[in-house]
Amino acid sequence: MSTDSLPVVVALSAPFADPSQWRYCRPVSLEHLVGHRFAGGERTIEHWENFLLTEVCGGPQLEEGIAHPVHLFHIPIDGAGLTIAELFDLAEAEGPDRVGLESYDWEYFEPLREDVAYRCDGQIQSVIRRGSDEKDWDELVFAIELSDEGRLIARVTNTWQIWRAR
Amino acid sequence: MTAVGDEIPAWRMAEVRAEPMQTMAALLRDPNPVHWDRASTHSRGLEGRLVNQGPINVGYLANMLMQWQGPTCIRRLKVQFPDRVLDGDEVNARGVVTGVDSDTALCEVWLERPDGSRPVVGQATVQLSRS
Repeated sequence: MSTDSLPVVVALSAPFADPSQWRYCRPVSLEHLVGHRFAGGERTIEHWENFLLTEVCGGPQLEEGIAHPVHLFHIPIDGAGLTIAELFDLAEAEGPDRVGLESYDWEYFEPLREDVAYRCDGQIQSVIRRGSDEKDWDELVFAIELSDEGRLIARVTNTWQIWRAR
Repeated sequence: MTAVGDEIPAWRMAEVRAEPMQTMAALLRDPNPVHWDRASTHSRGLEGRLVNQGPINVGYLANMLMQWQGPTCIRRLKVQFPDRVLDGDEVNARGVVTGVDSDTALCEVWLERPDGSRPVVGQATVQLSRS
């Protein structure tokens, strides 16, 4: 993927602690999304973006060619041919202020490296409606695998909350 | 020899700053203004403080682990985000070994503010270096 055409990625954050700040989406069902496969594609980590991302995270530059582990946030999504806006559309979310991060589960079978064209494939694994005294939300789980010439390099399993109106 | 109960040397971010969030937003083409426009967080009750991106918070944990066992040591990182990290916060990445299996260590990891609160918590699997 050319970096000239990087899709929009929204770096979700934890929910606001104050319930008055929560905003909600329509209470639709997402069960039909389970098993939905993303288009898939390739994504290369370029040196300049590795340099900048490493700086952003506040650490020293790594050994030549080793990419910072935090690339597992956006490289799989980019590589699978997705934008977060498209994920929002799939989940019938209505904007980044109605979605929260629940968890990341990132597995590294080999270190990430610059200048490798990683194959990225994935799908939506589950959608579960949750609720508490304060709000309802959909727990949406998607997973994407990175491979290089057939070798599994990494896997991400990310869980988001889509906050729903009652 | 790494053993259960060992503390991982902490990694400190003395002050979370706005500029790295803004660079991250540009890298990710992230349109969410809570990471780069103070006006957007005034209306959210955050008094104009910007919200650090979740991946940057995970980056602090990764830095701690790489400082401890080298740049290719991370095998798995599972994190949850019970709270936000804001610009101006001091956070320390900390961890403790909870299990050792052959050449890997299982660890509890977290970000901790000086008041003891933990906005990010998780578990890591780390390849132990041979040295």
